[in-house]
Amino acid sequence: MSPKSKSEIRKLRPERSEGSKLAWSGAGSAAEDHPTAALLIEIGCEEIPARFLTAAQTDFGSALVNALGEARLLPEGAGAEPLFETYATPRRLVALVPRVLEKQTAQVEEVLGPPVKVAIDAEGNPTKAAESFAQRNGVRVQDLARVNTAKGEYLALRKTTKGLPATQILSEFLPRVVLGMTFPKSMYWVAKAGPRFVRPIRWLLALLGEGKQARVIPFEVAGVRSSGSTYGHRTVARGPVRIKSFKEYSTKLRQLHVEIDPEKRRERVCSECKVLLEQTKWRVVPDPNLEDWIVNSTEWPKGLVGGFEQRFLQLPREILITVMRDHQKYFAVEDKAGKLRPLFLTVLNVDGDPKGLIRGGHERVLAARFSDAEFFWKADQRVPLRDRQAALEGVTYQAQLGSYAEKVRRMKNVAREICALLEPNGGFYPYQEQAVLRTVDLCKCDLTTQMVAEFPELQGIVGGLYARSQGEEIPDVPEAIYDHYKPVGLDDSNPRTVIGSIVSLADKLDSVVSGFAVGLEPTGSSDPFALRRAANGVVKVLVELSLPVPLRALVEKAVHQLNVNWNRPQMEVFSSLINFFAERLRYYLESARGFRYDTVRAVMAAGWDVPADAARRAEALEKIRDSQDFEALSVAAKRIKNILAKSASAADWQPGEVDAAALQAGEEKALYQAFEEVRETVNQHRQAGEYEKALKTIARLRQPVDRFFDKVLVMAQDAALRANRLRLLGKLDELFSGVAHFAEIAPAPQNVGASTKVKVTSEK
Amino acid sequence: MPGLTFQELIFKLSQFWAEQGCVVALPYDLEVGAGTMCPETFLRVLGPEPWRVAYVQPSRRPADGRYGENPHRLLKHTQMQVILKPPPADVQDLYLKSLTSIGIDLRHHDIRFEEDNWEAPTLGAWGIGWQVVLDGLEITQFTYFQQSGGLDLEPISVELTYGLERIAAFLQGTGDVYQVCWNEKVRYGDMRRAEELELSVYDFEAASPETCRTLFELHEGEASRLLEEAADDVTSDPARFPLRKAYELCLKCSHLFNILDARGAISVTERASLMARVRRLACDVARVYVERQSGTQSPLVEAEPA
Repeated sequence: MSPKSKSEIRKLRPERSEGSKLAWSGAGSAAEDHPTAALLIEIGCEEIPARFLTAAQTDFGSALVNALGEARLLPEGAGAEPLFETYATPRRLVALVPRVLEKQTAQVEEVLGPPVKVAIDAEGNPTKAAESFAQRNGVRVQDLARVNTAKGEYLALRKTTKGLPATQILSEFLPRVVLGMTFPKSMYWVAKAGPRFVRPIRWLLALLGEGKQARVIPFEVAGVRSSGSTYGHRTVARGPVRIKSFKEYSTKLRQLHVEIDPEKRRERVCSECKVLLEQTKWRVVPDPNLEDWIVNSTEWPKGLVGGFEQRFLQLPREILITVMRDHQKYFAVEDKAGKLRPLFLTVLNVDGDPKGLIRGGHERVLAARFSDAEFFWKADQRVPLRDRQAALEGVTYQAQLGSYAEKVRRMKNVAREICALLEPNGGFYPYQEQAVLRTVDLCKCDLTTQMVAEFPELQGIVGGLYARSQGEEIPDVPEAIYDHYKPVGLDDSNPRTVIGSIVSLADKLDSVVSGFAVGLEPTGSSDPFALRRAANGVVKVLVELSLPVPLRALVEKAVHQLNVNWNRPQMEVFSSLINFFAERLRYYLESARGFRYDTVRAVMAAGWDVPADAARRAEALEKIRDSQDFEALSVAAKRIKNILAKSASAADWQPGEVDAAALQAGEEKALYQAFEEVRETVNQHRQAGEYEKALKTIARLRQPVDRFFDKVLVMAQDAALRANRLRLLGKLDELFSGVAHFAEIAPAPQNVGASTKVKVTSEK
Repeated sequence: MPGLTFQELIFKLSQFWAEQGCVVALPYDLEVGAGTMCPETFLRVLGPEPWRVAYVQPSRRPADGRYGENPHRLLKHTQMQVILKPPPADVQDLYLKSLTSIGIDLRHHDIRFEEDNWEAPTLGAWGIGWQVVLDGLEITQFTYFQQSGGLDLEPISVELTYGLERIAAFLQGTGDVYQVCWNEKVRYGDMRRAEELELSVYDFEAASPETCRTLFELHEGEASRLLEEAADDVTSDPARFPLRKAYELCLKCSHLFNILDARGAISVTERASLMARVRRLACDVARVYVERQSGTQSPLVEAEPA
């Protein structure tokens, strides 16, 4: 083995080698002896997209600190002091590391030589092996040390490499830290061969130390050389300005109309919203996403209130808010009753608008936008939704799946099926089916309107508003159209009515099923048609509306009616769909509902075709599973399953009725009696969906079961006796498995109390 | 003080960019959807030669037609197109100076660069950049081209596209584009309203889809024929190949596609395939251009070393 092979070189840092048995006594054991200095880096950019800024800010900070750590430039035991701070504005990413070592800590390298038993002979003299190892490394044999390793005692050479000055190391790795950053979307600005970043880098501030000690760390990225200067607000106060410390940096930038701290900018935005509307008693319509966007797209936020003509308030609130929020980035303003007022609040990136020029500009633009919306509203009404169905033939849903008209036809079949499945269970009436089918007919028609072409995010909503204003005759239909895209995610609310929910189900089921049929199923992180989200919606609606709908039958129907080019057998598509929905249900129960993974597994093993039912069983099991009786019972249930599984292969018994007469007195009979006593009750509770009661009743079997296993040998010599006992266990298993497979429940850790255990398992 | 007239705005911006070393080119004499489609942009951003150009370009988007009734939307609007290849490091500042040159005092306004990436699928072109927003009004598209004609760009070009009607309306403080003063006496409406109405009527109602489709195929066929012959014939002088004609034919297809689209005459599957057909022509042209161009010198090389 070559001594240069990597496995032989162990790099040690004295402070980091805790736990190692190596006795090491190098220089600088006390970190406090090492002088430190603050490191301030600012990457000056052209405007970084607001949506990337928060992640870029933290990524830059952690990339820098990781690199510092790897370069042995961070002091140990920095105490309560924060390791680093980060800030960001659209034009800069900033990281401050208050304590960076001026010099790298020394590095001790240990080069392992031959084992001592080979290198030192019986007389204690070095052998050839020891000499040649020393020679290869250019040292004398007596300079070698002995070290203990897991494999025994070895000769070793210890080399201490002195640390280099921080400035030198930083100059080397800072370009890599900067250009090593990744973004959801980045760009070239010189050439394809050139640097890649979120937006062009235009300046770099890199300072180590403060005041008179402050030094620029020289490096270059993308033709930009680092300096000790920064730049102020783009149009108000440009710069460059020389900086000597972080304190000076943040104060000077404030004078130059830049607030580097996003949280301070957020405070300003919020207080401006309040202060500006104080006298009106009105308030902005809260919008956290818009607030984030504003915080991340300004360096010097300043609120401004503008107005618009009263007549525009005749347009629906949804449209007014969308125009203001999505197109102009304005907050809408409402009164205490929640009614919109003819005002908006925008946040500027300049200190004020003393001449009112900016407000005038915004008001003109908004008036133009509203006039457009008004125009669309009136123009769209000329062709009511019901007359737009034919036009859906010309709107593509997906190349292989045809137009929206075809999608609507498929949705209609699925919706009919759902209605049919609901009716026998009561609570659903034919007139409702009529409303469902009407909603399906109309719900996609708004895709042909100018309003949705202009504001695609309002699909569905616009349709609902139009149906209402066009006097749709069947009640509930406008609302159902309005809601049918809901829930958009697990956090979103469900449609308000059962009509809307059924249409939402039909829409999403069709998207998932037809998507799978033509090979659009999600793989890994790629899910271009958002089918996971659609399937999550299906599960959520089924469960939260407690719809007694079997998913399998529904999916089967949806698959059968498809008229597509099957590129794989229908059965295969069907089974991957079933797996997909099972996975979505599992995800929903664990992530949205917070049930423990083994609760979910136990419940789903007992069947999940009606997701709402599976959810109710999970709820019940979650409540009762930590009781002592139940824990013991689930251990017994596992045991029963194992015994039955083993005996099934032996094939010397068949499941069936227990021969009561053949039971022996004592524990065996007692168990059977107990079983007979609870069986009916459990079944009644189950059928009534009273799963908690069913489980509690089952838990009463704990004692008889335990005693049975204590005293009775199931695998008796006598074949008839054995078979009868196995049948008894089979009956118990059947009873247990009706709600959940208890055997799936992970045993509780012995030394941890029930309450803490909940946390431990659910966090995994 | 009232702002610049429409024509003064054109003069000032042309003058400003001329001073930055841009060739002030003439508007292209074909229907285009944007100044990007003119050869002075589409072809010149390809290859290594430095280039700076500025030109006014009337641009047609049939689907945006509003019969001359909507004060903010035009079927044919006017762009000021600027290409800076390679872009200088202070390109944003340069752009802001151009705003100052047309009388916008940046100290009294709020100017923002908001993420807006641009893509022209029929040209195989896309870029990263912003919409420049002035007091809530989008006035310019600012793009770092990444690809054109399906080819990576070396070097990258910056494209600035000013929306002249909007800027003029802003400068003159009017909310109605037809009220914009073209000069002291003539309004924008006097110059253009009739044309807006007529073009809207044609594109939305009167256009014969059959004829448009036939024309599309004729133009496409002619372009393909040229490009195929060029590929087959390796002996003749490449400089003689009517590349720009092939490109013109491609642009004709693009415009006809837009009319068919506005007319609502494009079926489900047809849309994507028609776009792909135009893109193929554009990409073929780009490839031939780059091959032919390699080794030639840009007139700007001496004046401005890269």
